[in-house]
Amino acid sequence: MSSTKSVLRVENLVTRFKSVERGKWVKAVDGVSIELRPGEIVGLVGESGCGKSTLGRSIVGLERPQSGRILLDDIDLSGLGGRKLRETRRAIQYVFQDPYASLNDRQTIGEAITEALVIIGIHDRTRQRRRVHELLDQVGLPDTVAERYPRELSGGQRQRVAIARSLAVEPRVLICDEPVSALDLSIRSQVMNLFLTLQKDLGVACLFIAHDLALVRQAASRVYVMYLGKIVEQGTSLDVYERPTHPYTRALLASIPSADPRIEATREVPALLGDIPSPTNPPSGCRFRTRCPSAVEACAVAEPPTVWVGPGHGAACIFAAQIRATEVVPQPEPQRLPQQLSA
Amino acid sequence: MASKEILRVSDLCVDLFTQRSVIRPVDGVSYSVAAGETLAIVGESGSGKTVLNFAPLGLMPTGVNVDLSGSILFNDTELVGIAEPALRKLRGGSIGTIFQDPMSALNPARTIGRQIAEVSELHMGLSSSQAESRALDLLKLVRMSDPDARLKQYPHELSGGLRQRVMIAIAVAAEPQLLIADEPTTALDVTVQAQIIALLKDLQKRLNMAIVLITHDMGVVAGIASRVAVMYAGRVAEYGPVGDVLVEPRHPYTMGLIDAIPRADDAPGSLFRGLPGAPPILGAPIPGCAFAPRCHAAIESCHITRPALVSTVQPLVSAACPIINKHNHGGAYVQH
Ligand SMILES: Nc1ncnc2c1ncn2[C@@H]1O[C@H](COP(=O)(O)OP(=O)(O)O)[C@@H](O)[C@H]1O
Ligand SMILES: Nc1ncnc2c1ncn2[C@@H]1O[C@H](COP(=O)(O)OP(=O)(O)O)[C@@H](O)[C@H]1O
Ligand code: SF4
Ligand SMILES: [Mg+2]
Ligand SMILES: [Mg+2]
Repeated sequence: MSSTKSVLRVENLVTRFKSVERGKWVKAVDGVSIELRPGEIVGLVGESGCGKSTLGRSIVGLERPQSGRILLDDIDLSGLGGRKLRETRRAIQYVFQDPYASLNDRQTIGEAITEALVIIGIHDRTRQRRRVHELLDQVGLPDTVAERYPRELSGGQRQRVAIARSLAVEPRVLICDEPVSALDLSIRSQVMNLFLTLQKDLGVACLFIAHDLALVRQAASRVYVMYLGKIVEQGTSLDVYERPTHPYTRALLASIPSADPRIEATREVPALLGDIPSPTNPPSGCRFRTRCPSAVEACAVAEPPTVWVGPGHGAACIFAAQIRATEVVPQPEPQRLPQQLSA
Repeated sequence: MASKEILRVSDLCVDLFTQRSVIRPVDGVSYSVAAGETLAIVGESGSGKTVLNFAPLGLMPTGVNVDLSGSILFNDTELVGIAEPALRKLRGGSIGTIFQDPMSALNPARTIGRQIAEVSELHMGLSSSQAESRALDLLKLVRMSDPDARLKQYPHELSGGLRQRVMIAIAVAAEPQLLIADEPTTALDVTVQAQIIALLKDLQKRLNMAIVLITHDMGVVAGIASRVAVMYAGRVAEYGPVGDVLVEPRHPYTMGLIDAIPRADDAPGSLFRGLPGAPPILGAPIPGCAFAPRCHAAIESCHITRPALVSTVQPLVSAACPIINKHNHGGAYVQH
């Protein structure tokens, strides 16, 4: 399906955790395949608890997947070990939501970045200093920040530092886990523009994990929508946002509040009722069926395969082709009238 | 709509004295809220939204000394200078509160049912068994699924959205006239946020409550509020009906904030609009307009004299910016 070769490919990845319920497993990521091409920003969206972070953490080796493959430039990471694995994996860097957690409060910013430079074999003091300043400049911070401590910086500045440090090892892929969620709107735009510039200037590919759908729409060229450990829809941002085809994507998009009170005045009942079910006991068949307005008996029987409704645009729903053709989500009779707003 | 005014805040200042610093996070704020109406207080983090609402209720963490000046009339009671016992009676009684993080406000070691029942015992003088059955009614009121079973559950057994419903049940237990909700949906997904907003609107209608809702999300403002106060660095930058302020913002800060919201027609890959710089770190009161260093329209006097919050050409909207009033045509005033 791809014309360009991918820089990162994840195939059928499964990562699960021991559940608090004895003998059971939390299937946080349950058979996910995704792909990133060089220099591409790809969004990963879905409600909290659907497995976005676990997928990202599995890719960088912070979680140990139970099965599946992770390929960097067609090299299967699971075939590597020890030092070779560490070196190869360096090409994939993780940017956390809370940069405070990933920065050491007893290290100056300069020291933190230098530490990363040493890892890739830059030991010369002058070269280190020059590179620190280059990196700070790249993320839009003045030289003087190098002497500061993390606690002396604002949230937006800290996130820039965290990005500078991940760039120090010259990665090919950034996994950004909600990198601007903790930032205020006016600062958020600045950091988002930094990602866009870095992607253009350095060609770093970026998996952008976020629950803010409007943000992803603008930043990413393609997007994956995740629900309860599975990818339910994927495609270009234009396709997914303009012609959402999975009932979940449609409900998610319909839930975004508009800042225009005239539009909000026409809002009726919430688009999606209840909470995401527990990944320990996911519903049979289609995992979305317990909240889906279109669910019919067949949805409980088998897991719906991804239906390709356009080039690279897929949705895992038995009604995908119909929804794409008619632009309406079927509401089968008799309609399930929810008694309560929460599951 | 001539509803009864429930709350009138006039020229409120809050000074906080800690061991290390003295700051004024709330600096001359005024607004009012009527029965059945929602006022949104919107602003970036650190702009003083929480202190503004909770310092007067005596809900600041220990170790901070609070000094209030100005006036807060709740019905006809003056809250500035009120004695603690009288304040305690109002809190959880005719003034309900909801915090951003329900986990920190709920007792992890007690059941949901007990915690809700306590409020009714305390403020409505119900017996323990009456309060228990009222707790069940309240869980039904906030539309909890399986309310009988929920009564016996502990906070950690619930999802974020359900916990927030419990907080709402506690806050409305004594049928308050005023509900103060501090970022009640910030930690929630948009899907659950939509459910909570719908619930708050429904409860408001039934109880004819006035709501003060603190948020930084303009979408939430548009969804629930009739009026909005936009805060910047402890001061109100713009204040007025939501239909005016959000649709035709006048103050350069409000304009920048609303302009920064991604729109459906922004091309994928296009740069994000936003404001330059960052909000000030609060310390000594700022002499001029706090927004001046980030403002594209600032002139010299903006840095020197503090602009008063005055009515604009649309009399229901006031803005603290002499420039927009000089131009005399709010929304038509051009940016960039
Ligand atoms: N270390 C862990 N142990 C047990 N369960 C976990 C662990 N990390 C995540 N989970 C569970 O896995 C699921 C997916 O979590 P996560 O990947 O953090 O989701 P998201 O990032 O989309 O919010 C959740 O149900 C979460 O509770
Ligand atoms: N307990 C406290 N001690 C000292 N300063 C505080 C305390 N609480 C808040 N502040 C300060 O008051 C200002 C306003 O804070 P807050 O009302 O929490 O802002 P918001 O709710 O708008 O994010 C901030 O500068 C903050 O650092
Ligand atoms: S497969 Fe069935 S339950 Fe799943 S999204 Fe489609 S219609 Fe809904
Ligand atoms: Mg996460
Ligand atoms: Mg706050």
